[in-house]
Amino acid sequence: MSMFASRGQTDERRRADQLAAALSGMGVPCKVEPRAALAVLMVESGVAQRLADGELRRAALALAREQGFTHLAVELAPPAAGADAPLPRP
Amino acid sequence: MPAHRLDALRSIVAAYPSALVGYSGGVDSALLAVVLRQALRRERMVAAIGRSASYPAEQYRVARQVAEQFDVPVLELDTDEMNDPRYAANPANRCYFCKSELWGKLVPVAASRDFHTVVDGTNADDVGGHRPGMQAAREHAVASPLAEVGLTKEEIRRRSRALGLPTWQQPASPCLSSRLPYGTSVTPERLGLVERAERAVRDLGVTGDMRVRYHDDVARVELAPAELTSWLEPVRAESLRAAVSAAGFPRVAIDLRGFRSGSLNVLHGVTPA
Repeated sequence: MSMFASRGQTDERRRADQLAAALSGMGVPCKVEPRAALAVLMVESGVAQRLADGELRRAALALAREQGFTHLAVELAPPAAGADAPLPRP
Repeated sequence: MPAHRLDALRSIVAAYPSALVGYSGGVDSALLAVVLRQALRRERMVAAIGRSASYPAEQYRVARQVAEQFDVPVLELDTDEMNDPRYAANPANRCYFCKSELWGKLVPVAASRDFHTVVDGTNADDVGGHRPGMQAAREHAVASPLAEVGLTKEEIRRRSRALGLPTWQQPASPCLSSRLPYGTSVTPERLGLVERAERAVRDLGVTGDMRVRYHDDVARVELAPAELTSWLEPVRAESLRAAVSAAGFPRVAIDLRGFRSGSLNVLHGVTPA
């Protein structure tokens, strides 16, 4: 039982890595966290905005489907610490 | 759109000696309750609301508003599906257990108060989809006059608008449990988390179809395709993340396909992608 579960997880991880590589190749550098049929993209600040482009988004969804993911979501990362801190005065 | 479907509905319900309608304040049951009220004297009909943790508070507010506006008498009772382990385990046929509880309470109430017919707001689009709740309705001999006359969701919205119902453009709002993937147990805490998160998103100005789907620590926000693009813009994305996070989700993600009715059915292979 656990062997099958482990095999399934390995396959899920492999598909997630392939999706991440494909997305990076089209300008969306990311890590992919697989959750069964859902793939969650973890991206650096500013990358999520690129997916506002409809053509790019459709291509990403197609790649996800090719890897067996029915759902694709991009995580909204909190702002980096200090990102909005006041600039030091000279 | 043929006008005769609404006329047909009026003919059907006018022939009821009396009726109890299962009423949520959603688009479908609101129209049915109003048509029933227009066709029957006040004492011959009642709109019955089953209240539980899975019933959104905002939906309840709308239900009361419509009832008041159209002089629809309302009966409220609490349902207890959360304490049914078959429901709480959240299987793919969860809705069957919920509706069994609802009709198991409403049908005897109708009988005890001499309401001859019990009806629900199932519409023509619902027939044939993955709707295990419809089986429970059949088992309790609940009639579905909207479906019977072939009224679709789109037609119901148009007819609702013509009749002045505020629900005509209300997004579909199924019970909160539909935000939890099958197999993820249904608890009042999880439903409360989802409800707070959805209210937070609405407070940001999102008006179209929207769901916050629960994936343990991750909230997956589905937005209407027309609104999706703008919420990926950095400032708005951060306001969305902050709002949902403040509601209690540690992580927030936007679904890149956008809102899909029955999205979690697709996720679990219950319905095709």
